[in-house]
Amino acid sequence: MRKGIRAIGVSSLLALTMGNLAGTATAAPAPTERYLHVKVDDAAKGESVNVNLPLSMAAAILPTVNKGSLHNGHVTIGEADFNGVDVRAILDAIRNAPDNEFVTVKEKDQDVRVAKSNGNLIVHVLDKSKDGEKVDVTVPMKVVDALFSTTKDNELDVAAAIRALSDAGDAVLVTVQDATEHVRIWIDSHSSSE
Amino acid sequence: MVLLGKVALGIAGTALAGVGLICSEGMIEVKVVEKQPEVHHVYVLAPAMLVPMTMHFIPNRKLGRCSAEIKPWMPTIRAALEQLRASEDITLVEVRESDQHVLVTKSGGSVVVDVTDKDNIVHVSAPIRAIESTVEQVAAASPEAKD
Repeated sequence: MRKGIRAIGVSSLLALTMGNLAGTATAAPAPTERYLHVKVDDAAKGESVNVNLPLSMAAAILPTVNKGSLHNGHVTIGEADFNGVDVRAILDAIRNAPDNEFVTVKEKDQDVRVAKSNGNLIVHVLDKSKDGEKVDVTVPMKVVDALFSTTKDNELDVAAAIRALSDAGDAVLVTVQDATEHVRIWIDSHSSSE
Repeated sequence: MVLLGKVALGIAGTALAGVGLICSEGMIEVKVVEKQPEVHHVYVLAPAMLVPMTMHFIPNRKLGRCSAEIKPWMPTIRAALEQLRASEDITLVEVRESDQHVLVTKSGGSVVVDVTDKDNIVHVSAPIRAIESTVEQVAAASPEAKD
């Protein structure tokens, strides 16, 4: 009888600690997790938005979404969006070319520059209108290659691009700055955007 | 007298084990503070396991439409919750406006939502495992059984 009572006591304690133990056992973080950060600051309105997303989460979620033009991590693009341009051929040419500035467009109200530098594809756009919007996009060539790694011509492999981003180093991918707003998208191994 | 003590100990032990089991999925915490016009405090702390248990008492026909809408998204929800559970504690979304602050975090196996504005303070914390089992139950309801 005494043994029975002792067993009840032990099982009670076990049941009480079960939840906590289960919680901590499953919460072991991946050692090399990388994060996609999006930060939008609007100084005029005093507003800010921060989004921090583990890349492994994005990579796991994307293939499960089947809606609209997104299927199994692939985005289908209409032929019209390419305007008959052979994007893969252009990318091949860029990949094999040395670091250089490929496109420079200077207009009255806009400057556009496309270049390759240190294994990155770089796009700068400067809007000279009153807002003076400035857009900088830096994408590692490996990510661009992954994006176009599908066998179909009218598809982009977004899931592969995210996997490639996980392997790339810390990088600022997009910055947009205008008179009041600042948008920044970057990747690093810190879970917070500070 | 000794026998009575043993019986009491047995009942207490069983009750304790029951409480332990009910609390094993963690606790759902809801805290609401209304600042205007009068200050009101609402605080609810409930075992998360009660939610999926309560779901059994909701008639299938009431969940039918929810089930039909949520079913196509179940692979995405499962993947997101699985990754969220495995991830370290993280601030997922933070929005600051002049009179409002919204914070969505993953903290210690729970999803925590904090909203603060000039009228209210709302804090909701729900264990991911409880969210998962509740969503699974909603999805499992028969979509044909509508009102």
